[in-house]
Amino acid sequence: MVSEMEDKKSDLILETRNVNKLYPIRRGFNPFARNQPKYVQALNDVSIEVPRGKTVAVVGESGCGKTTLARAVTLLSPPSSGGVIFDGQNLTEGRVNTKALYRKMQMVFQDPDSSLDPRFKVRRLVSEPCSRLLDGGKGAIEERVMQSLEIVGLSEYVDRLPGHLSGGQKQRVAIARAIAIRPELVLLDEPTSALDASVQAQILNLLIELQRDYHLTYLMITHNIAVAEYLSDQLIVMYAGSVVEHGPTASVISKPRHPYTIALISSAPIPNPWKRNLLNIEIRGEVPSAINPPSGCKFHPRCPYAEKICGEQSPGMVEISPGHSVSCHFAEKTA
Amino acid sequence: MSSPSLLTVSDLTISYQTRRGAVLAVENVSLEIGENQFVAVVGESGCGKSTLALAIIGLLAAPPAKIDSGKIQYKSADLLALDESDRRKYRGTEIAMIFQEPLTSLNPVYKVGDQIAEAIMVREQKDRRMESAGGTAVMQKVYGPKSPALPSRLRIPGSATKARTSAILEALRLVRIADPEQVIDRYPFELSGGMRQRVMIAMALSEKPALLLADEPTTALDVTTQAQVLKLMKTLMSEVKTSILLITHDLAVASQVADRIIVMYAGDLVEDADVYSLFSDPQHPYTRGLLSCVPSGSKKDKELKPIPGFVLEQSKRIVGCKFASRCSQAMDICRQKRPPLVETKPGHRVACFLYGE
Repeated sequence: MVSEMEDKKSDLILETRNVNKLYPIRRGFNPFARNQPKYVQALNDVSIEVPRGKTVAVVGESGCGKTTLARAVTLLSPPSSGGVIFDGQNLTEGRVNTKALYRKMQMVFQDPDSSLDPRFKVRRLVSEPCSRLLDGGKGAIEERVMQSLEIVGLSEYVDRLPGHLSGGQKQRVAIARAIAIRPELVLLDEPTSALDASVQAQILNLLIELQRDYHLTYLMITHNIAVAEYLSDQLIVMYAGSVVEHGPTASVISKPRHPYTIALISSAPIPNPWKRNLLNIEIRGEVPSAINPPSGCKFHPRCPYAEKICGEQSPGMVEISPGHSVSCHFAEKTA
Repeated sequence: MSSPSLLTVSDLTISYQTRRGAVLAVENVSLEIGENQFVAVVGESGCGKSTLALAIIGLLAAPPAKIDSGKIQYKSADLLALDESDRRKYRGTEIAMIFQEPLTSLNPVYKVGDQIAEAIMVREQKDRRMESAGGTAVMQKVYGPKSPALPSRLRIPGSATKARTSAILEALRLVRIADPEQVIDRYPFELSGGMRQRVMIAMALSEKPALLLADEPTTALDVTTQAQVLKLMKTLMSEVKTSILLITHDLAVASQVADRIIVMYAGDLVEDADVYSLFSDPQHPYTRGLLSCVPSGSKKDKELKPIPGFVLEQSKRIVGCKFASRCSQAMDICRQKRPPLVETKPGHRVACFLYGE
């Protein structure tokens, strides 16, 4: 039993424990101001687990903290409190060798136009992180660069500038750059949101291929439920800085239990004119302000099931089926 | 088409003049929008869908844009034959438009109420002109060469007089904004994305247009907000009796709200069909490819079949079908001749040599 537990733990490549992230709100220059410093709580006690070799998708609307989570995990903006355990090492304690860390962890950003230097040719874009992070001579790195460009189908484009590539090709360069290091974990922050439908499908299939061939683990941030459903094994739903529901993707999509998850899934348009789900949904209001979030459960002002307790106490995580947990006072009502 | 035609575009060709020569953005596009119809134009970036909308409302910047040929008929007027001052009389009050990013189309230094007031004033002025001209024969007089032009400057600040305030509140209530009394005094930056887009819709509808062009109105919004805005557009269409031309890249969104879908590829109209007919029997290989690209379900159940290749550069003149290089069913004729748009069944048109003679 103990060894089983151990096994399960070591199977996680990444884990966060009660991660909080507070951004201070800059006050104007007023030497007589007496007000307390204010904060935006971008992440509120976020605990997630990412099993090795799987794809975990974080879904939620803009401002829910999904990108902040990715930035906290990669230490691009370290968490204010809580623990990030990557490959057995706690990244929030002591000094972290970031060079060693980024050899195992890479990120692909949403907008390739801002993540690729417009004055660098593709060869340099892909080789720069390799030459910084890896040992080995020029020849070895060149070989790696060519190999990863070949994998993404861009080997003929080494001497082009990003300005001469299409959106999909630019995103391929960003992916080639991430995989050239041979990382174990790749964080994908909205990897296809800037792309057209036909190109999005190409990139999604490329990601699946890469995962299969190189045993990659993906932590994918997306607002697109259909993309998350297609790609992921585990799904995490965030709302206003907190995780409200997580579990196996199939289970969360087919039996969502948090009222927000239900609203989110039913607002995702499906390409089927006979099932006009969008015109039947009932969701009011909008995502609350992160500076003055509502008390208790943050979803209660928009929730059709809300009662008195929802405004007073924030609900804990309850496991409702194996691996599927939800944070709602009335999870039994939505079943 | 059962409903009478409101807008007819025929053989419209638009090009952009660039340093490297002319780029065809829209090529020989013909379409028709009936009264109280919800039509969606679907296509990927660069397919010419926004250019088409801008040409219809007359906001194309020329140069670089140039309308090479074609006709846009709105009711009984030939819009392309009008000069700018006559064209203005249609803009807003007859054909209105809402854009993708509401923050760039709202004026940041005026309060929301004042901006809606401006739209209402434009409408009032038009109604007054029609009254003074006396009755139904008015159209020719108003749109004739000697009709009074709009004042060069509209007084916006403080224009929200008491009588007008109730009209503004009504416009905001129409788009389901909570607490309109407070929203009226806010600046655009104080509103959320969904509220801004509602304000844009309220402004557009205050001018009581017969045709509303919506260029990617929900692309910048979150899914739950997108659902609210789309639902709103659909209900408003029946409440205020307007036609909507929705420009979108998202086939799923179009399938949810539109009566008819027009698919564009690289400036060409490739398929035009009733939404149910398009989804039950997609005919053009591009439409079929697009449908199999939309993820639904898990990778374990259904693998996506992306369309191979990329959209060809449009500065190159292509003799045959523009999709031929990516098409798995391409034949010799596809590379030699441009396929004409043929009606394969009532109300379903497709431009592909696989159909017809």
